[in-house]
Amino acid sequence: MNDNILTAITARFVLMVSVIVILIPLVYLTGMSLKEPQDIFGDPVSPFSFPVVFSNFRAVIAQGGFLGYFLNSVLFAGGVTVGQLVMAVFAAYGMSFYRFRLKNLCMGLFLLSIIVPFVVTYVPNYLFLARFKLLNSLQGMVLPMLGVSLGFGVFLLYQQFQSFPLEIMDAARIDGASERQFLWKILVPSSMGQIVSVSIYLMINTWNRYIWPLLIGGGNPKSYTLNVAVAVLFNNAESGANWASLTAASVLSSLPLLILYFSMRKNVLESFLQGAVKG
Amino acid sequence: MRVTSVYGTTMMSWKRFKPAMYLMPALLFIGIFIVYPVGRTLFDSLWNGNLLNPHREFVLAAHFSHFIQDPGFHRILVQSCIYLCLMVVGVFLVPVVLGLFTLELSKQETGVCQTVLFVPTVIAANVAVTIWIWFFNPTGGLFNELQELAGLESLRFLKDGATVIPSVSLVAAWKQLGFHYLIVLAGLKSIPVELVDAAKVDGAGFWSTVFRIRLPLFGPTALFLFIVTLIQGMDYTFVPIDILTAGGPAGASSNLMYSIYQEGLKSFRVGVASAQSVVLIFLFGGIIFLQYRMLDRRVKYER
Repeated sequence: MNDNILTAITARFVLMVSVIVILIPLVYLTGMSLKEPQDIFGDPVSPFSFPVVFSNFRAVIAQGGFLGYFLNSVLFAGGVTVGQLVMAVFAAYGMSFYRFRLKNLCMGLFLLSIIVPFVVTYVPNYLFLARFKLLNSLQGMVLPMLGVSLGFGVFLLYQQFQSFPLEIMDAARIDGASERQFLWKILVPSSMGQIVSVSIYLMINTWNRYIWPLLIGGGNPKSYTLNVAVAVLFNNAESGANWASLTAASVLSSLPLLILYFSMRKNVLESFLQGAVKG
Repeated sequence: MRVTSVYGTTMMSWKRFKPAMYLMPALLFIGIFIVYPVGRTLFDSLWNGNLLNPHREFVLAAHFSHFIQDPGFHRILVQSCIYLCLMVVGVFLVPVVLGLFTLELSKQETGVCQTVLFVPTVIAANVAVTIWIWFFNPTGGLFNELQELAGLESLRFLKDGATVIPSVSLVAAWKQLGFHYLIVLAGLKSIPVELVDAAKVDGAGFWSTVFRIRLPLFGPTALFLFIVTLIQGMDYTFVPIDILTAGGPAGASSNLMYSIYQEGLKSFRVGVASAQSVVLIFLFGGIIFLQYRMLDRRVKYER
């Protein structure tokens, strides 16, 4: 009995410590964004100084462009998510409901799209975009990303479609449904749970991409995503150590996904689990 | 399992589209943006090329034979290994231990832990890592102040070749820990409760249930997570390296992935970058091949 209590206490202690360790950087990040700029180096140990001020946020927003960066992030993440999803639905459908030679080759190509490290593909893709004058444009940012890790969506939806009962498919066919009607009116709606899962995973991963949007969009403020904007601010501020506006910008740029996460926590966790274990 | 005849008749009436039509868009994009770049990389690795200079010469395997003797490249490989070892500790061993302890917690407590530990995963890596710059700042940064308060000799963290890799790995582990913890918990929870309860009734303590029941049944998830850690480990450290040190001081915090990035996209030495990419691809291929071998063997044992 004593042994059990000891274990229970140790377990709670260990986890409490890890929760605190994870939180500390986030607390300081938030705290610094609410400090007067001179307090950041004046009192570095305490995360907050009172009264809290919102002047840093006001300054960052007054610099302008944030709405534009936000929209670029939405278009980048949204474009990649929708594009990959549509392609994955078609591909997964073709693979689940047809048999054909070279299916294994297709599987291999989808697997390849997941495992090839991004550093391998970035140079050729960059040169490809440069040739078609797509640098510093949102199209240029989205297009190559449509191929990267496309296999994730395909495999997850393939598994889902495989479990679709063939009887229902036959019933639809006998009732005169066309193939297109079957796909979009029956199969896709009935797989909505999985599709939502895949979208959340793609959305968060794409939104958080950094190197690629910086490489393609970093040359023109019109094509900055939120992350790129923070990175540029960071690079410019390094010498002046302008931590006040940097932390405020970091908090602002993280808010959209944090809100998404806390409002649909279960779905987000589920989608990452799916993405990891099945992908 | 699908029945062939049903399959056949179903397809008879819907012949308007062929599977190729469905797979075309996906394969087209993978072809242009994945397969072509990989092929291009294999090709470029045989040339001595530079983005800034249109002339290039065919060198066959000269890049690779140079790697064999090049101490700079050996150093990058050694540093990559150190990173991987530290990542195995940070995002494999630690999450497994935390997961085991979590089983002792109530449902609400588990929910809180999972929610909080996962937060860094949904924040963009470059944004989340930025704050650590200030923590590590040698003058007036948090860690520096704390060392002074405690009267310790100050470490120079990111400025010192001896401490830079552990410091960067700490940040990378902080960022990815929650994601792996999620996978560990899911794996541990799929172990039937009855087995553990039965053992407890028979008088087994926490540690004997861990070592005799939970860990053996957790084996497949653990192997999976281990492979993920090996393959993703360099990726996890990539953005922290870029933001915190850019590979410095004097290359002491670079790894193979970061070196490819620097050679290719900063120095434009495409030939060298491609050759390093080929080494990376073979390493990954080797890991994945080993994984399949191990999975194969386990299946045979079970039968």
